[in-house]
Amino acid sequence: MDQPIDVARCLQRWQKGDESAAEELIAYLYPVISRIVRIHLPRREHEDDLIQEVLMKTFARLHQYKGNAPLTHWVSRLALTTCLDKLRAQKIRPEIRWADLTPEESAIFDATWLEGSTRDATDAIYARDLVDKLLSTLEAEDRSLILMVDLEGHSLEEISETTGWGISKIKMRLFRIRNQLRKTIQTLEQRP
Amino acid sequence: MNTNQDKKWEALLALSASTFAGESTLPYGFITSMLAQLRLEQQQERQLGRLCWRAILASLAALMVAAGITISVHRHFNQGDDFDPGMRGLIQMENVQAS
Repeated sequence: MDQPIDVARCLQRWQKGDESAAEELIAYLYPVISRIVRIHLPRREHEDDLIQEVLMKTFARLHQYKGNAPLTHWVSRLALTTCLDKLRAQKIRPEIRWADLTPEESAIFDATWLEGSTRDATDAIYARDLVDKLLSTLEAEDRSLILMVDLEGHSLEEISETTGWGISKIKMRLFRIRNQLRKTIQTLEQRP
Repeated sequence: MNTNQDKKWEALLALSASTFAGESTLPYGFITSMLAQLRLEQQQERQLGRLCWRAILASLAALMVAAGITISVHRHFNQGDDFDPGMRGLIQMENVQAS
């Protein structure tokens, strides 16, 4: 998305069968889809395959795009829906116990306290594994929602626009998710 | 309410934030494979469209043949009067007995 493109003109060219327009659209949309897929990526799902799937869906449904909202918003929604469909197919872990953590994850859990600064890249990976484990106890929509708020810093209005959920539903969900995360972290702290 | 658990969660998320960042540069060969896939998809769509038209035309032709046969059979049995073959037989029997 470094160089802005004339989306409307690109779409017209693509509809006329111009392949170079497709190239431009792919290059333009790739970073947007990549970001969403990486955040909402279901476990065991290959990132590139999922990005390709979203792009294929995008091109198959481009005729439905009315141009009322920016193309990136429309594609973001499509990418999120695709990830959620995959996430829904995964089993939710009933709970996580201290014994479920690897030694590295346990060390990160103990060491990470009120700071959150990355000491090195490996720590970030272990922290990610731990975050994924915590998120695995949540439903697909809840998992995505908490990341949109806490990681991406989206406003409730933005989330409502992307997901189509009402603000009050989002607030209720967030309240429930936070309680559940608190409970899970508390269980880990007690180390039964 | 910001409990210790909330802070722990925020800290873990902040520590892992770099792993959530998306790629801005396309992997080598990605566009080529995507275009090939798009071409294949379009080709399949066209083929499916052609198949559908053929199936529709074949069904229409079969329907017309069936209608033609039905009409000709109907005409064959109804030649000369308005009665069906069973009824005509009965009338003929009646006529024979009367004479």
